[in-house]
Amino acid sequence: MNFLQLIPLLLFMAIMVGISVYVRREAASESGFLSHYFVGNRALGGFVLAMTTVATYSSVSSFVGGPGMAWHIGFGWIYMAVVQVTAVFLVLGIYGKRVALLSRKLNAVTVVDIIRARYSSDALAAISALVIVLFFAGTMTAQFVGGARLFSATMGYDYEMGLVVFGLIVVIYTAIGGFRAVAFTDTLCALVMMAGIVLLFYFVLQAGGGYTNIMQNIADNHPEMLEPFSGGNMPLGLYFTQWLLVGICTIALPQSVVRGISYKDTKGLHQAMIIGTFVVGFMNIGINMIGILSRGVLTEPLSAYGTVDHIIPTSIATAIPESIVGFAIIGPLAASISTISGLLIVAASSVIKDVFIHYRRKNGKGELSPTRLRAISVVATATLGTVVFLVALNPPSVIWLINMFAFGGLETAFFWVLIFGLFTKWANKYGALFSAIGGTVCYCLAQGLGIKLFGLHPIVIGISVSLVFFLAGSFLIKDKENKNLEVFFPKE
Amino acid sequence: MTDFEKLQQIKKEAAVTGAALLTLIIFWCVAGFGMAGIDVSVFYLPLWAVTGTVGVWAFAILMVCVMVKFFFKDMDLTEVEDK
Repeated sequence: MNFLQLIPLLLFMAIMVGISVYVRREAASESGFLSHYFVGNRALGGFVLAMTTVATYSSVSSFVGGPGMAWHIGFGWIYMAVVQVTAVFLVLGIYGKRVALLSRKLNAVTVVDIIRARYSSDALAAISALVIVLFFAGTMTAQFVGGARLFSATMGYDYEMGLVVFGLIVVIYTAIGGFRAVAFTDTLCALVMMAGIVLLFYFVLQAGGGYTNIMQNIADNHPEMLEPFSGGNMPLGLYFTQWLLVGICTIALPQSVVRGISYKDTKGLHQAMIIGTFVVGFMNIGINMIGILSRGVLTEPLSAYGTVDHIIPTSIATAIPESIVGFAIIGPLAASISTISGLLIVAASSVIKDVFIHYRRKNGKGELSPTRLRAISVVATATLGTVVFLVALNPPSVIWLINMFAFGGLETAFFWVLIFGLFTKWANKYGALFSAIGGTVCYCLAQGLGIKLFGLHPIVIGISVSLVFFLAGSFLIKDKENKNLEVFFPKE
Repeated sequence: MTDFEKLQQIKKEAAVTGAALLTLIIFWCVAGFGMAGIDVSVFYLPLWAVTGTVGVWAFAILMVCVMVKFFFKDMDLTEVEDK
């Protein structure tokens, strides 16, 4: 334990807070608080849009659990992980312009705003907001815990100290600066993540005796790591379901779709698709390659290190000189920080805009003054973040269940609701309601009870059931006339 | 561009993105599983481990560049009235 090691991380966190304070001061002179606080006044450029989309998507598990699995499995794991190069161009290519135009027409600042308008359903909007807040809370807790554990394992400080050093500061800067601060800090996080990968790569190579030595060792002692099926550790079904879970269905993640509301012009969108594809590929291949190269550093069987989650922390502690650990840890922690801030601001927007303001207006109460709206938004974001922070101090077992359900649950809830809702006229609120509720419940049950169709991940059940419910609801129950359809599907 | 024309263009771009996804899946299968039987090493790695990872990444970047240059069009996001 050495206080000097903490200085780089403390400096990094101070810069994040500084960015947030600067953004808030800038925002004070602009009108339209909600749009500014929750979508950055729709003014992001291509580079920032790409970086914030990638940084929010790339979580601490991308930097810890994933490369740990690569250490265990070999190149089959990178082959599977590389499907995530779709994560930016798919969501921006399919929804980028659609939600950008609709949000301006509808004055929408959240994905739920758009869903509410498309289906004319407060019930669907309320359920969507609930699903977002619940699953995001579970994911944020897991990010807090993962980051704090990594901090503790590599720096030698207490878990609680780690939570305070990076966790509480994330909540503070997100609450102060809102989405625009999140986007800029995400950009810094993504750059730091890339630099962290290069740094780790160099030291792991050096500690393992060089690339040739490590690869020779793998070829001699673990030849299955050079096979796509890894001697049976990577079944074909896993590849198939990963294409669904971390490839195709990621277009339904609300934290990614909302990025489509936040950019300035289509030139920036096009740039973001290219930059984002480059960055997400660099990160996925780079960090998982480090996992494989860690074979040169950690040569004992897995049982000697505990679980795959311990591989990267142990590798950092073993391969990196003590004087540099403080710098090296920032990259993986940045992955955790950027995901927490990205989810926190979307969850807060659901509570404030989709629930509080909507029902206030519906009940005929007057508009809030800008000062009051600002105070309520900041306090709500800080409160939500603080609650998750406190839960992370001693997470109950239900949190791990929610986190396990979160990724696939969000995809199941929103995949058909968004794709059919934004691109077909026949989709109606009954199909969307049945799909979001029925699909998510079936997915969670399948995941919780370990039910697998043909041995495939429960996302297959979730997304299939969700589709059947959507079609049944839309074609079997007739909806009353929806006037908003003219906004969504203008006539020639 | 009218609102109707914008929607048609957006639908076209979404379809192109979907087609790009299918193309990438096929390339991924060929570059990985398809190359697994070839006994060639590159940088001490079997060929499939290079084409199925870095190769897929490079192909995806190239494909997105082509999509954006030839199929995607710039449009005004602020003007909402039909011309």
